[in-house]
Amino acid sequence: MNLLSRILYDMVYHTTPILLCVLGGLFAYKAGVLNIALEGMMLAGSFIAVFVALHTQNTLLIYLSALLVCAVIGLVFAYLAVKKKGNVIIIGLAINMLVPAIASFILQYMGVPNLTAKWVNPVNFRFDIPLIKDIPFLGSILSGHPLGTYIGLLMIFVASVVLYKTRFGIYTRVIGESPNAATSLGIQANKYATWAILIGALCCAVAGLNLSYERLGIFTNGMTAGRGFIAIAAIYCGKGKPVQSAMYAFIFGLARSLAINLSVFAGPISALFDIIPYLLMIAILAINSAYEIRNYRMRTYW
Amino acid sequence: MKSNETLRNILNSVLPVLLALLIGAILILAIGENPLEAYGIMFGKSLFTLRGLTNTLHAAGPLLLTGAAIAITFRAGLFNMGVEGQLLIGGFMAGLVGAYLHIGNPLLHKLVAFAVGASVGVLFALIPALLRAYFRVDEMVVTLTLNYVMMTILEYLSSGPFRDQGAGYVTTPTIDSSAMFTRFGSTRLTPFFLIALLLFGILWFLNTKTEFGYKIEAIGKNPEFSEATGLRVRKSIIMLILVSGAIAGFAGAGHMMSQEYKYTLSFSGVTGLGWDGMLVSLLGSHSPLGIIISSIFYSALKTGADNINMYTSIPKEIVAVIEGIIILFLSIRFLNERFGLLEKLSKKKGEKNEPAL
Repeated sequence: MNLLSRILYDMVYHTTPILLCVLGGLFAYKAGVLNIALEGMMLAGSFIAVFVALHTQNTLLIYLSALLVCAVIGLVFAYLAVKKKGNVIIIGLAINMLVPAIASFILQYMGVPNLTAKWVNPVNFRFDIPLIKDIPFLGSILSGHPLGTYIGLLMIFVASVVLYKTRFGIYTRVIGESPNAATSLGIQANKYATWAILIGALCCAVAGLNLSYERLGIFTNGMTAGRGFIAIAAIYCGKGKPVQSAMYAFIFGLARSLAINLSVFAGPISALFDIIPYLLMIAILAINSAYEIRNYRMRTYW
Repeated sequence: MKSNETLRNILNSVLPVLLALLIGAILILAIGENPLEAYGIMFGKSLFTLRGLTNTLHAAGPLLLTGAAIAITFRAGLFNMGVEGQLLIGGFMAGLVGAYLHIGNPLLHKLVAFAVGASVGVLFALIPALLRAYFRVDEMVVTLTLNYVMMTILEYLSSGPFRDQGAGYVTTPTIDSSAMFTRFGSTRLTPFFLIALLLFGILWFLNTKTEFGYKIEAIGKNPEFSEATGLRVRKSIIMLILVSGAIAGFAGAGHMMSQEYKYTLSFSGVTGLGWDGMLVSLLGSHSPLGIIISSIFYSALKTGADNINMYTSIPKEIVAVIEGIIILFLSIRFLNERFGLLEKLSKKKGEKNEPAL
């Protein structure tokens, strides 16, 4: 593999967890609930996947348990945020603190620094897609990924269709834009908001599972390293539109891939490459916002 | 009505704590330990012995300040989630001043370190403040992200250029003794706690007795109206985030000079002093007295955790779990404003609650 296709393959590889979080999280964003717990939910998925993988080699069971646990966290979030009308930012922060705390509690109790499912060989999870792998250049980039990546890529289309072509999607967007109008039309805002949060939680489960189980077979605490927040930024940058938001996820993936592939040439300072995606994200947010408010002449506060 | 409201505020803070302790107890039971014994050790050793109590007060110093740093932005409806990062850079830079600038005079050395710590806190807070005020970028997203940036940078600096080569682990050199606070007798308490209290008092005064505090309150309640009546909301927002950053940086510097003496990768503890500040502020419902009480309570929880580790086999991470649960419950209001307190107490479940904040 030459350097370019190596970088692009890694871009897809590093985009996967962010992409899944973005596509799941944008439903809640569209429903008017800011879910900053993506990070914690993803970490929960990572933890449970490897934890279950210690005991079984059944991939289906591993997937199901990660999905189940994240769904429970999603339900807790939805109950407090939607039913109890709690402050979503505080709930999100609490979940982001609680998940690593519980994980390190269990790790400490088990007396291990991290979880390693020794039987996992990440190469075995990667498989080729029959037709796509034969396309000359693109094939080497898009093919040969684990299941989670394909789910992520597929989700771009699924999310677009669900959000814009189904009743569920339209209602979800309506309650985000104007909750009162939605209620006056008899739309059960709480129900749709809850489902939107749940979809996010399930996608985070797959994202976390991809990060720990499919890539390494290892869980270390804090391994999500802010990817959930990058996902939130991508959603913000793309204003919750699936294709645009996914595009931003790929930009962040590219930055990460560049950081890793170019670190060979840079030496010890390469540790600092890791901050590029974050700075890039802040820059994009600022430019986006500046572009939006450029014609705003009224004296205002925002 | 006023006293009723105060009581409700207190209950709204106490109930989540009790519930979280209950869930923590179930967790302790689940791993086959005695929760009563664990909590007994935790609070007994941290509040009811002189040594424990002074340790608790000592650890409450930085919490008091990070709590205040978060509370003042919260009151204006802003979310400075970057307190953790601002505290880290403040502590780190104060550590460099302490270790590399050999100012003999103890007072001057500390003053310089404090000044540097607070200034870098301000500089770091300048990014979200300007982005928020001039580009309308959500300060919460920016500050959350910048925490990661700062952690990565400091990890690089402390393990690369500024590493103490003599030490067997990643750390910066120990600060000069002229930059260390002296302890009171055999306790761990240092004058820094008093300085923190004093600063906290000044902040409280600024907040409640001056025009500045009034502006904050007004902006928090209704920014459009404040702007319409002629308040420069944009300027106030910048000011406020910068003040918050300064306090956080100051707290970091104080933590460096009174407790850590060098920058290690675990400088701000398991949960992070900035995040602890968030809990302290929420628990004290952003009021001065509330923050004092909750910072001491939370500090007791943390000092107690070390004892738990020493006397039982329960992982000390239990405290982080309890902290998370407390914050989770603090997000909603258990008792709301519309109903009488006693009625609510008798049937507090299954009611529609007012949104928190």
